[in-house]
Amino acid sequence: MVSITGVIARPTSYSGLWGWITTVDHKRIGVLYGVTAFIMLLIAGSEAGVIRAQLAQPDNTLIGPETYNRMFTMHATAMVFMVIMPLSASFFNFVVPLAIGARDVAFPRLNAFSYWVFLFGTILMHVSFLVDQVPNAGWFSYANLTATTYSPNDGLDFWALGLLVLGTSSVAAALNFMVTIVNMRCPGMSMMRMPVFIWMALITNILLVLAFPVITVGLIELIMDRNFGTHFFSTSAGGDPVLWQHLFWVFGHPEVYILILPPMGVVSEILPTFSKKPLFGYPFVVFSGIVIGIMSWAVWSHHMFTTGMGPTALSVFTVTTMLIAVPTGVKIFNWIGTMWGGSIEFKTPMLFSIGFISLFIIGGLSGVSHAVAPSDFQQQDTYYIVAHIHYVLFGGSIFGIFAGMYYWFPKLTGKMLAEGMGKVHFWLTFIGMNLTFFPMHFVGLNGMPRRIYTYSDDFGWALLNQLSSLGYVVLFIGMLAFVINLIQSLRKGKASGHDPWDAPTLEWSISSPPPAYNFAEIPHVEGRDPYWTTKRRAEAAGQPVAGPEALVDPSTIHMPSPSYWPVVAATGVVIIAAGLLTHYGVSFVGGLITVIGVIGWSNEPATAPNSHN
Amino acid sequence: MKPQPGPLKRISNRISGGGYNYRRFAKFAMLAAILLLLLACSTGRQSTWDPVGPVAEKQLLMFNVLVWVMVIIFIAVEGVLVYAAVRYRRRPGQGLPKQTHGNMPLEITWTIIPTVLIMALAVWTVVVLYEIDEPPASANDVLNVHVTGHQWWFEFEYEDAGGGKRIVTANELKIPVDRAVRLTMDSDDVIHSFWVPKLAGKVDIVPNRRNHMWFQADSAKIDSLPAILYGQCAEFCGIAHALMKFQVRVMDQQDYDAWVTNYGPPPTTTAQAKKGQQLFGQCAMCHSIDGNNDSAAQASRKEAFVAGGALVPAPNLTDLRTRASLAAGLLDLNKENFKRWVNNPNAVKPGNLMQARAAHLYGSGQLSLSDSDLDALAAYLLNLQ
Repeated sequence: MVSITGVIARPTSYSGLWGWITTVDHKRIGVLYGVTAFIMLLIAGSEAGVIRAQLAQPDNTLIGPETYNRMFTMHATAMVFMVIMPLSASFFNFVVPLAIGARDVAFPRLNAFSYWVFLFGTILMHVSFLVDQVPNAGWFSYANLTATTYSPNDGLDFWALGLLVLGTSSVAAALNFMVTIVNMRCPGMSMMRMPVFIWMALITNILLVLAFPVITVGLIELIMDRNFGTHFFSTSAGGDPVLWQHLFWVFGHPEVYILILPPMGVVSEILPTFSKKPLFGYPFVVFSGIVIGIMSWAVWSHHMFTTGMGPTALSVFTVTTMLIAVPTGVKIFNWIGTMWGGSIEFKTPMLFSIGFISLFIIGGLSGVSHAVAPSDFQQQDTYYIVAHIHYVLFGGSIFGIFAGMYYWFPKLTGKMLAEGMGKVHFWLTFIGMNLTFFPMHFVGLNGMPRRIYTYSDDFGWALLNQLSSLGYVVLFIGMLAFVINLIQSLRKGKASGHDPWDAPTLEWSISSPPPAYNFAEIPHVEGRDPYWTTKRRAEAAGQPVAGPEALVDPSTIHMPSPSYWPVVAATGVVIIAAGLLTHYGVSFVGGLITVIGVIGWSNEPATAPNSHN
Repeated sequence: MKPQPGPLKRISNRISGGGYNYRRFAKFAMLAAILLLLLACSTGRQSTWDPVGPVAEKQLLMFNVLVWVMVIIFIAVEGVLVYAAVRYRRRPGQGLPKQTHGNMPLEITWTIIPTVLIMALAVWTVVVLYEIDEPPASANDVLNVHVTGHQWWFEFEYEDAGGGKRIVTANELKIPVDRAVRLTMDSDDVIHSFWVPKLAGKVDIVPNRRNHMWFQADSAKIDSLPAILYGQCAEFCGIAHALMKFQVRVMDQQDYDAWVTNYGPPPTTTAQAKKGQQLFGQCAMCHSIDGNNDSAAQASRKEAFVAGGALVPAPNLTDLRTRASLAAGLLDLNKENFKRWVNNPNAVKPGNLMQARAAHLYGSGQLSLSDSDLDALAAYLLNLQ
C-alpha cells in the first residue's frame, strides 16, 4: 500500500498555483476561504440587488416570479452557507493557531480537504444557473413544496446535494478546530486564559458538529423522497411536512448562533484593543456564550409559531426564546463596560465594532418582540422578520466580519487598509444598512408578507420599499469603496509593522505577514492578554518591545508538507454528489476517487522524510 | 469665563467643520423623521395597526407594550453606548486608562433585571396564548367555516351557513358582524397560511394537519357595513404565492342571511345567460357551479390531478356574482376584468393552473372563444342583465 503514495510524487512547490492547491498552511487556507467567500458575498449581494430593483416599484415587471424566487433562494442560501460561515472559517483558520501560540491546526490536510470540499460544493450549487435549474423554494425549502409534484425540475436536487457537500466541509473543519483549540494551546494558556474569539470559535464549532447531522438527515430524506420514491414528507402517503420544519430548525437555530458567535468573538477582541483596557467581565462574556450555545437547542420552534402547535408548546418555546435574550444582553453590557472609562480610538475596526453593538441591539430587541408568540402571529413571514434577520446577520455578523477584516488585514499582509476609505466604507454601510432595513419593520407591520415578487400600489407599501431600494444603492457604493480600498491597499498600502494596534494577543508578537512556522519559539503565557503584559513589563523595565519575534531559518522547524491528497479526496466527494444529478455510475467513479484519495492520504507521512519544512 | 460647549456640541461642530448650520440640519432631520414615522404608521389595507376584532386587538396590545419597553431600553442602552464613545474618546497625550477587569455586583444586576422583566412578560404571554386559542365561552352561536388552501386560492366551506344550508365558495369569506367565526383548515397541496391582519395573526394551512383559528369583526370598530378586509397567503407556496390573495366581507346579519338564502346557481333568464350556461360546460370540468355536492367533485378532481390528469380542483363559482373581486383577489369584479382574466389568465396571474390545465382551450395563448361568447359567459356568471 505504501507504493500508492509513490504513484504521484509529493508536491515540492510552495509558490504558484500548485503551491496554493497543495498547501496545508492554515494561513494560506484562511486566505483561500476568505477570497472565495468574498466573491460569493459579491454574487449574493448582487442577487439582493435584483430583488431590490424588482420591489422598487409596485406592479413591477422587471423580473417574473420564477426569477424572483430563484434570487431570494440563492441570496439567502449563499449568504448563510457560502459567505458568513466560510468568512468565519477564514478567521478561524488565520487567527486560531496564531492566537493560541500554535504552528498549525491539529489536522492540516483535513483543513485543506475542508476548503476544497467547500469550494466544490459552492461551484456544484451554482452549476444550477448554467443548466437553468436553479433552486427556487427558499433557503428553508419547506416540504412539501419540495416534492417533485410541486417542484419538478432539478433545482432542489442541486440545493440538497450542494448543502450536503457543504455540510461535509463544515463538519470536517469544525472537528479540526475543536481539536486544535482543545489540544494545541501553548503552555500556560488554560481555557480561561484564551482570547474570547477562541472561546466563541470553540463554541461555534461544537454547535456545528452537533447541528449539521440534523440537517444532513433532513437533506438525505428529501433526496430519497425526490429520487427514490420514499415518503418522509410526501403528504399523499400520510407524511408530515412539519417534520421537515422541525429537522430544519433544530439545525437552523443553532445555525443562527453559528453565524453570530464568531463575529461576537471578533468584536470582543477589537473593543479592548481600541479602548486600551481589558475586556470587561471576561468570565461573563465567556459563560454567556456557552449559555447561548446550550440554549440555542431549546428554541427552534419559535420559527414555527404559526404551524398550529397549540398553546402548550407555544408557551414553552416562547419562554425559552425570551430567556436567550438574557445572555445576549449580558454580552452587550460587558462590551459597553469595556469601552467605559477607556481611551477609545476610532479606527475603522473599532467603528465597525461599535456599529455592530448598536445594530445588534435593534436586532435583539425586535427578536424579543417575535419571541412573544401572540405578537409574532402578526409578524411571522412578513418584512418585519426580514428587518430583524438583517439587523442580526448584516448589522451583526457582517459588521463583525468587516471589523475583523480591518483588524487582521495588517497581520495577514503586512500592510494597512487605508483609514480614510475605511471610514467612507463604514459610514456608507452604516447609513445604507439602516436605510435599507429599518423601513422594512414598518412595511411588514403594514401587512407586507415576505417572498412576494410584486405588490399592488393599493396597499401603501411603495414608498417604504423605495427607501429600502435606495438604501441598497448606498450599500452598493459602500461595498465599492471597500473593494477599491482592498485593491489599493494590497498594491501600495502603508507598511503596518508587526503590531499596529498595540494589541494584547499572541498573533501580534510575530512579524507581519507571519512566517510559515508562525512562532520560532512556542510562547509560554502566564495570563490573559499575554502580549499586552509582555509589552507593559518591557516598558516598565525601560526597554520597550521594538519588533516582532526574530525570524529563523525555516529549515530548522518541522512543518507539515504540502499534499495532493486532500484535493483529490475532495474532488471525489463532489463527483459522488454530481452523479446523483446525472448518472449514478458517475457517483461510483467519485467514490473510487475519494477512496484512492483517502488511502493515499493515510499512507503519506504528514512531513516528507527528506523535507525540513 | 466663557462656558465650554458640551461634548455633543463639540463633536457636531467638528463634523460640520464649525461653519455649517447644524441647527438647520437637525430641524430638517427631525422633520424628515416625523414625516417618515407618520407615513410608516399610516394604516393600509393589511395594516396590523388597525384591528377590527378582539384577537387582532389583543395581539396589537402586546406588540405595543413591547414596542414601548423596547424603545425605552433602546434609548437607554444606545444612549450609554454613544455617551461612552464620546466621553471616553482618546485625547492627545493621554496615558493608559485604569485597567478594570469587571464588576461582580454590576454583572449580577444586569443579569437579574432582564430576567425579571422577561419572566413578567412570559407570564402575560402564556395567559394571552390560552386566551386567544379558542372563542370565549361567552360567544354563543359560533360560525364554523372550513378553509382549504389550494395553489393559489382559498376555498371556504360552511357546513351550516344559516338555517342548515351548506355553502361552498372561494376567495371571499362572508361573515356576519359581531359574531365569532371559527375556522378549521386543511391544505389540498402545499403549506399555505391564512392571514387577515385586521382580524387576527396568521395560522398555517398544513396538509395532513387540521389547524384552527378564530376571530370576530366588531361593529364598533368598523365605520360602515358591508366592509371588505384584505388577506393574503403568508407562507411561500410556489410561483403565484405573491398573488394568492383573498377578501373577507363583513356584513350585517340581515345582508348575510340574504346572501345565504340567495346562494345558488346564477339564474338563466336571458338568452345570453342561457348561452353562457352552455359554454360553461367546459369550465364545469374543474369549477363547480352548485355548491351542494362540491366536496365529492373536488375530491375526484384532486385524485385526477395527483394521477397527472388534466383536471384540478378549482374555485366554486356558484356565487361569483356576489363577490367583490376576481382571480383570488387580484381584480375588481366587473365584465371587462372578467373577460381580461378568462381570456389570458397568465397575463394577470403568472403560474395559475387554469391556463396550464385547460391548455386545449388556450391553444394560441388566448382562449379560443369569440368576444360574444365571452360576453355570454360573463352575463351568465355575473348575472348581467
